Amino acid sequence: MHQPQKENIVFEDLFSLRNLFDPMVIDIILVHRGSCSSSVDNLYSPSAPAAGPADETVIERWVVQYDCPRFIATPSGADACVSYKKIYKKSIILLRSLYTQMRLLPAYRIFKQLSSLSQTYNFDLVYKVSSFSHPFSREEESGMKEYIFAPVEALSGCLSVSVTYRATLSDFNLEPLVSLPPKIITDYVGSPTTDPMRSFPSSDKGAHATSFPLRGARPPSSSPFQRPHSWSSGFHRGFPSTKTQSLAGSPPVYRTSPKPYDIASPPTDLYGNRIQNQRVSTLQQVTAYDEYKSSPPFSPSASPSTPSYLSGTNPLRTRHCSETAPVTIPLPLTGRSTRYLSPNSSDPSRHSLPPLSPRSSKHDASSQESPSGIRSYRKIEALRAGESPSGLSNNYSAQKVVRDSKDDSGRFSALLSSSGSPRIGFSRSSSRLSFQDDMDDCEFSCPFDVDDVDVSDSSSQNTEGKKASEFTAQSNLVGKKSHDAAVGILVHMLRTAPPLRQDSSCYSTHSLRTEYEGGVSIASGFFMPRKTADALEELNSYREMKDLLLSKSGTRVVRKEEIK
Amino acid sequence: MNCEVCQLKELEVEHFEIREVLRCILHTIVFHRALGLVRPKDVDLELFEITYVQCGDVELEKKIDEKIDHFISWVEKHPNKKSQICLSFYEVKSKQPSWFTNKTERLYWEQWYINLNVTQHPKHHSSKSHHTKLVVDPGESATEERSSRRAMVEASLREVLFQIIKFVNEKKDHVPPISEGVIYFPYEITIPSSSDSAFGMDMIKRMLHSGHPTMLS
Repeated sequence: MHQPQKENIVFEDLFSLRNLFDPMVIDIILVHRGSCSSSVDNLYSPSAPAAGPADETVIERWVVQYDCPRFIATPSGADACVSYKKIYKKSIILLRSLYTQMRLLPAYRIFKQLSSLSQTYNFDLVYKVSSFSHPFSREEESGMKEYIFAPVEALSGCLSVSVTYRATLSDFNLEPLVSLPPKIITDYVGSPTTDPMRSFPSSDKGAHATSFPLRGARPPSSSPFQRPHSWSSGFHRGFPSTKTQSLAGSPPVYRTSPKPYDIASPPTDLYGNRIQNQRVSTLQQVTAYDEYKSSPPFSPSASPSTPSYLSGTNPLRTRHCSETAPVTIPLPLTGRSTRYLSPNSSDPSRHSLPPLSPRSSKHDASSQESPSGIRSYRKIEALRAGESPSGLSNNYSAQKVVRDSKDDSGRFSALLSSSGSPRIGFSRSSSRLSFQDDMDDCEFSCPFDVDDVDVSDSSSQNTEGKKASEFTAQSNLVGKKSHDAAVGILVHMLRTAPPLRQDSSCYSTHSLRTEYEGGVSIASGFFMPRKTADALEELNSYREMKDLLLSKSGTRVVRKEEIK
Repeated sequence: MNCEVCQLKELEVEHFEIREVLRCILHTIVFHRALGLVRPKDVDLELFEITYVQCGDVELEKKIDEKIDHFISWVEKHPNKKSQICLSFYEVKSKQPSWFTNKTERLYWEQWYINLNVTQHPKHHSSKSHHTKLVVDPGESATEERSSRRAMVEASLREVLFQIIKFVNEKKDHVPPISEGVIYFPYEITIPSSSDSAFGMDMIKRMLHSGHPTMLS
């Protein structure tokens, strides 16, 4: 009766008695395990048998009996009602006194101790219900007291309750078990409700903090993930810990307001948001190129990570700050092209491009910088030396940092196509020649797939592209290998643009001159109806860009007109 | 109908123990006399390792606390005095009005006298205190004395509670029949009044009503 769940069992035992008039004896037994070292073991394996013998002592014995007299007087009428009320009154008083008495007995204090979950003890309380009981020994009786409740005389019998209990339990060594001191879990990973963005402190094992946001987490590059979360999603698995990070994700402040560019085939990977951010952030790298209005679709790095903020050590940013390269970027025929094709709108310093990255800084997983960014440096430098038009080089450099989720290299063809029909086409052969070294280094690919932008004036663009290819060819003649690579990549970028792709089948690997002439002839075959003035203006811009690059590299510009 | 009187064992308590002791005793008695539908609530005493049962009625608890407050204020005015608190259960009987009685009459059918001896236990003693013959360390002896005294009070209180249970079990016939919907029998708690003369008048009134001499210590 000390526990509610046991009360139900008591009732079941009552009904299971053969004879309802047999006494029901409820023994409250104290199971006491000796206090020894084994008690500590029991703490960890409470179900295991105690090492020492467990003493069982009856500390309370309740006897409930319903005596049935031989002669049962059954009142009737009003007497019955009065009788039932009296029986009810007396039963209620008996129940109240029983309720109070139970809490005054010593066993109740033990019951309360066991009920508290704060500690574990070396004893336990069990009960036994039976219709007979073993009499107590004299020794046991000496330490026990008895109280008999006033019987309640019912119509058909007499209900009597009595209790025999131990007056004191101080003889038993009832003590809580020794528990281990609380141990602080230093590498506690928490529950699924834990903030997933929380970073965990490094432990002595060398595990480093790793934060796993819902998407695009950027684990520390120096630490591999050591403790997987069972509740975390699989995004963190196979997480390239040292994958180079993309550029900053926060939208930087632009000199010119970036506009949402119409991308024919925007990257639709999971990191679309970051693409936007990276795109925006990358644009900041080329902020010097003020005329760049339409932000190219920069694809994120291959590593599924949030764009890391570019530190001051980022060479791209550093170089960007050191030199302003106001290279205009060719745009589609949307009316904005003239704006971008006029390099004069910007200060001369904008024509300068950031210096090339070191040759050794290849696409390396251990590099802290984005390989696309590194590659872009090479391309940019190649452009500078390769007499590329300012706008094209700007486009090239801007595009090179674009990545998609598939590969590290950037694809610029889609950029060009998305931004419209490029005005310049490059010789494929020349691009390939200069492209070889870069291809050896990394898997160069364009950021976007080939789109289906139908460019009507691709022919004129091809003409200009061929002219640019001549410039790149010149750069090759000048030729450091890195320059050739940059030019080659630029050429490839321009070549894979939609209008250029249509001419791709016409491109072939020839000598520079031959290619140039062929390109011109081919380009002429794909003349698209457009304003001549626009085309000439674009060509002029590219020429100026080329001049600038060559002037810096000390190469004399050879123009088409001069050749002719 | 007879009025059953129960004189509970005298308890020697300190001033700060009055409230808990009285609460325990009064609630225990009422719990055995509130034969209607109640929701028992176990209450653990803070000063003693005793658990008593309340009826779970907020109003009842408030009334009892008010009476205890009155008693405590009386004790403060009359320190070191034996006092008595009377808990009476009565029936309301309508009676024909006469020139010296009211229309309604209270028929007390049970009275409980709680005898308390509130002592102002001397605090930190000097070596000349008669309570400690051998002074080794006044602090330790005072602590041990306090703990032993506390154990004695706890045992006495437990005995008082057993006494209540025994009385409740043995005498049931005088308890009026339970009315449907009625939880408590009408009761009143009488504490000593501020003036002795008034207290004496209260006792005389009680004698007139109950017809039984009250035992005063």
